[in-house]
Amino acid sequence: MPHVELLPNSSSSAAPGWTYVVDTGYDPSKIAINPKNKKRAAAQPGGRRGESELSARQQTAIARRIVELQRDNDPKQSVPVPSHNSIPKTQNARRIIQYQRQIKHWLDDEEALLQQIITPRINPIGGRAIPQSLRRPTTNNSLPATPSEASPAPATLIAGGSAYNNDKPVEHDIYTPPMNSSISSVGPTELRALLSSPPLSYAASHAGPPPAHGPRQRHFCDNCGYWGSMRCLKCGTRVCGLECKDAHEATRCLKWA
Amino acid sequence: MPPKGRKGSAALPAKTLVLDNGAYTIKAGLIPTTSANPTIDDCSVIPNCVARSNRDRLTYVASELAECKDFGELAFRRPVEKGFIVNWEAEKAIWEHEFLGTAGEGLRCEPKETNLLLTEKPNCPKELQKNCDEIVFEQFEFAAYYRCVGPILNSYHPSEPSSLSSLPQECLLVIDTSYSDTTVLPIYSGQLIQLAVRRLEVGGKLMTNYLKELSSLRHYNMMEETYLLNEIKEAISFVSPSAHQFAKDLDRTWKGRLGDKRTLDPDIVVDYVLPDYEQSVHGYARPHDPAKLKMRRGLQPLQGPREDVLPLGNERFAVPELLFNPTDIGMQAAGLPGVIMESLAVLPEALKIGMLANIVVVGGNSLISGFMERLESELRVMVPSQYLLNVTRADDPIKHTWLGAARFASQSSLLKSVLVTKAEYDEKGATWLAKRFAGGEK
Ligand SMILES: [Zn+2]
Ligand SMILES: [Zn+2]
Repeated sequence: MPHVELLPNSSSSAAPGWTYVVDTGYDPSKIAINPKNKKRAAAQPGGRRGESELSARQQTAIARRIVELQRDNDPKQSVPVPSHNSIPKTQNARRIIQYQRQIKHWLDDEEALLQQIITPRINPIGGRAIPQSLRRPTTNNSLPATPSEASPAPATLIAGGSAYNNDKPVEHDIYTPPMNSSISSVGPTELRALLSSPPLSYAASHAGPPPAHGPRQRHFCDNCGYWGSMRCLKCGTRVCGLECKDAHEATRCLKWA
Repeated sequence: MPPKGRKGSAALPAKTLVLDNGAYTIKAGLIPTTSANPTIDDCSVIPNCVARSNRDRLTYVASELAECKDFGELAFRRPVEKGFIVNWEAEKAIWEHEFLGTAGEGLRCEPKETNLLLTEKPNCPKELQKNCDEIVFEQFEFAAYYRCVGPILNSYHPSEPSSLSSLPQECLLVIDTSYSDTTVLPIYSGQLIQLAVRRLEVGGKLMTNYLKELSSLRHYNMMEETYLLNEIKEAISFVSPSAHQFAKDLDRTWKGRLGDKRTLDPDIVVDYVLPDYEQSVHGYARPHDPAKLKMRRGLQPLQGPREDVLPLGNERFAVPELLFNPTDIGMQAAGLPGVIMESLAVLPEALKIGMLANIVVVGGNSLISGFMERLESELRVMVPSQYLLNVTRADDPIKHTWLGAARFASQSSLLKSVLVTKAEYDEKGATWLAKRFAGGEK
């Protein structure tokens, strides 16, 4: 795992703006950095900050950078579509073709709709944000519950979630699973329930955080990609040594802040 | 008005446009409903984008990109975002350009006389599904249509080459690692187990953008060179066999410190000779040569051939490492093997065992050198040792899902049972159609 190599020249550790890091294994994976999960982060009970050395500013910086890396289209570069195409044939078609929305708008709409469906059943009084995990039933899950999934969804909630999809139990006339199979130890009722469950929302389909007992978070030099054993005091970014420290200050320090 | 019920729609068109409509490329082919056995040769791979050059002001629609000789600063517009069709203005233009009319080469069809089998990513927002359905019937006016999650149709590949069965495979776990993301899809007898679908938001796009960011930071500003960085990524990336080897390679590619410079290991570090888009359209990698690299830095002759070289060291393996360690960039997710186990944890034990014995990997990232080995070795550690673990990469991981869809479309009884005709849509509407495709309406 990451070496911590301290430079023999001790004066550099006192250089303003820099500190050596003894890797204490803080785990950013425990912190909600997904910008979609702001509400979940806000809804989490206190005490989180003490476990972590990542400031809110650093978390924002990481989240912004990931959003940038995930970008499909650059809004600054508009590439016009050649105009010799057919005209819209119906009102519906016209409306759909004219949308200039990005995927995040559609996903935000989906989440907002789910909130409307679920919120009144949990807390009819206040507008408390609902943890994301409640949208994914975890009762079948034999993995140890991760902190964010510690409270399994009550059955009423699952039913509430499925109202978003289709209230009726689904029957499949097209693909009838052969029951005389090697999977005979799975009961037909259990199997049918499993196969008829509606799709998860996009957000609910995301993989969970890495296991808490897994390998420690690795930290890399922001400039050259080698192990990052020093930390910038201004922005918290890691670097490998003095050379990269200079490069970092000249380029990316506070870029995502 | 057609007879009631879909049984009346006997006279379906005899051919089907099979579209695996990916964010990066469309996989497409016209399949006769009575085709003996479609092959990957029936599949065309078409860039799903409109590109515009800021240098020569030319616009390239989809397959026209093959004519492009200068990818410098080429800007892309992609109608598919995160795997879903978002921008119908661009997608419509691309479909019309590629499939409609009689002019032009390639696949041409008259939608009114053609069925459409269209694949989608799992967990598509319902509003986007509705947009898609309305465009297919109201704008393109296909005769009949079916939309489903693409990898489901991989169940219709024969489990053994000699098998003639049209029954879907019983347990199939598809890992789809593509441009937008990497999804894990347990499929039982041709039905997706929706509750267990999991998504890791690491795909080819993220990796190309990451390499672009790193190269721009460390060498030249290449932020506008998406095409080139994608080409470089495909040429030089490899997945480390283990976390241990990753650490070793990181040492071998480190420049050292002031006063303690190290020699870069030429077995890993390469120099990528960049195309100049005058003499050359594509670049190539060669072993790292520090002397030539120095020459580049300000000492190039004004006359004669210039050469721009991008050295690549830890970028070669640190970029695809994101599939196995997303936390390397702070992304709050387990690596792919952990995501697979998370998905399987939803299933009863018997199904889990069946899935582990039949894992098929599709999508372009599976072609990265070392990917399959790392995936299998990490899974082997996580899976109880008495369980059979069988992980294979599809013969053609890019066209595999299309081929599954084409095989499905070539069997008229299967196809008929799922297609919805335009007349049915006109009669019953988009909401009914959405439920029907979700399996809830007859
Ligand atoms: Zn460094
Ligand atoms: Zn800094």
